Amino acid sequence: MKKKIIKRLLIYLFVVLASIWAAFPFYWALTTSFKSKADVFKPLFIPFIQFQPTLENWLSEAMLRGEVIMLGLRNSLIAACTSAVLCVILGGMAGYALARFKFRRWKNRDIIIWFFSLRFLPPIAVAIPFFLIFMNMGLIDNVLSLILSYTVFFMPFSTLVLRDIFKGIPRELEESALVDGCNWFSAFRRIALPLAAPGLIAAFIICFALAWNEFLFALILTYRNATTIPVVIAGAEHSQGVDFWYICTRSVIAITPPVILATLVQKWLVSGLTLGAVRGAR
Amino acid sequence: MSGEERIKYLFLLPSVIMILSFIIFPLIYSLYLSLTNWQIGRVPSLIGLSNYLKVFTDYRVHNSLTFTLLFTIFTVSIETLFALGVAILSQQKFFGNRFFRVLFTAPFFTCPVALSYLSITIFYEEGGPLNNLLKLLFDIKVPWISDPDYAFLSLCLVDIWQWTPFLYIIFLAGLESLPKEPYEAATIDGASSFQIFRYVTIPLLAPVIITGVLLKIIESLKVFDIIYALTGGGPGVSTESYTMYIYKTGFRFFRLGYAAALSFILLIILMILFTILAFRLREVYYE
Repeated sequence: MKKKIIKRLLIYLFVVLASIWAAFPFYWALTTSFKSKADVFKPLFIPFIQFQPTLENWLSEAMLRGEVIMLGLRNSLIAACTSAVLCVILGGMAGYALARFKFRRWKNRDIIIWFFSLRFLPPIAVAIPFFLIFMNMGLIDNVLSLILSYTVFFMPFSTLVLRDIFKGIPRELEESALVDGCNWFSAFRRIALPLAAPGLIAAFIICFALAWNEFLFALILTYRNATTIPVVIAGAEHSQGVDFWYICTRSVIAITPPVILATLVQKWLVSGLTLGAVRGAR
Repeated sequence: MSGEERIKYLFLLPSVIMILSFIIFPLIYSLYLSLTNWQIGRVPSLIGLSNYLKVFTDYRVHNSLTFTLLFTIFTVSIETLFALGVAILSQQKFFGNRFFRVLFTAPFFTCPVALSYLSITIFYEEGGPLNNLLKLLFDIKVPWISDPDYAFLSLCLVDIWQWTPFLYIIFLAGLESLPKEPYEAATIDGASSFQIFRYVTIPLLAPVIITGVLLKIIESLKVFDIIYALTGGGPGVSTESYTMYIYKTGFRFFRLGYAAALSFILLIILMILFTILAFRLREVYYE
């Protein structure tokens, strides 16, 4: 009995420690962004009790650098949304083909592993030729070049997630539609697509998060008009020393969207992150 | 049947064409670049393999490869143990288990650049929260960024915070898909919970652990974002990763030919690692 109580206490102790570890940076960024400049360097952690929260940093950030940040947000949104939609469309089609049909000359398995191998491609190896190619096309500092890069880079990933999802939909449903006189395309559109909708949304969200957080391509391919939020953040200069308050407001802006969205797709993360190399418990 | 034949190629081709034209073609172009002395603003000429030979005498290549290797070994081993511990922890029954799982996976989705930028404040030496806390508890001041060894440690901490969730998600899924029977048999035979862990869980989970670790090793070898934003490779070049050095060679010094050669070496290293993983994948996708 005593042993059991100790075990329970230990479990809770570890849970609390791990939670503090995981939550601290989020908590620190959020609270510091509401601290007055005088309070920032003091060891104060609890708002209202230890310090009085203020909107001052957020307001002056909006006044001074609002335009640059809005531009970054707009570019990030356009690049991430468009490329995620393209990833889902292209990946959905390829994933469906790989889940439903047998390819003969190259087996499905080989095509899948080929797609998978692209995830191991170091981005820097493609970034150098991309830079020269896009420079010749006049697409440097243009959101289009980012959309193209992100679509290519994350599409193999969405293909494999969506293949898994289409595999999970019973084939018989489409076959009975075929018997009823549908062709393959309308069976895909009317039966498979609606059933796969949650998976399509999950793939969209994961691609969105990957594209939103991406840095290397954005750094190399943009410099002023098409910069995304990570580049805006990395390029921010500090007027005197390190401006804790602005770092925290900007970090909150950049971190929030993907983290919030990703909590919605927990269920699909495993097959998504390992591209099916580990079968998740569904 | 012919309709089916047509639609399967129609569905697969757009992505294949996209990959061929935007990945395979640029890689071939880059291979050509790596054989030239391409610099921005100059007429390039073919110089054969001399870019690749230069690698052997380039101090910063050795320096950055050593850093990348140490960083990979250090972070991957700690993350594996940490993630395994937390995965087993979340298999226990406790209040708020679902919420804990979501919270612990959240770091994986934070923007790496924003996170490292935020870490500048956390590791800040005069009045950052970490040093404030250490001062309160032990009355010490740690040079988190300005000392090469501590800068290495800071980067590892950021990476561990961000990537432990990745391995955690994988291990947890692995744990939950393990068969029940071996556990029942072990309990009947009177095995202690440590024995069950050591002789049942670990062997059963081994393939999942190996896959997760390989995936993370490959990610670690490409590390760039957090270094760019947190230390910039400094102090000096002590925390310069291999990708960081390629970036500087190509886009600060504009020696694109040499940078392309350097990136091909990384590509070859990763291809070797991928081949190992591919054997495992061929089993998973066996049909």
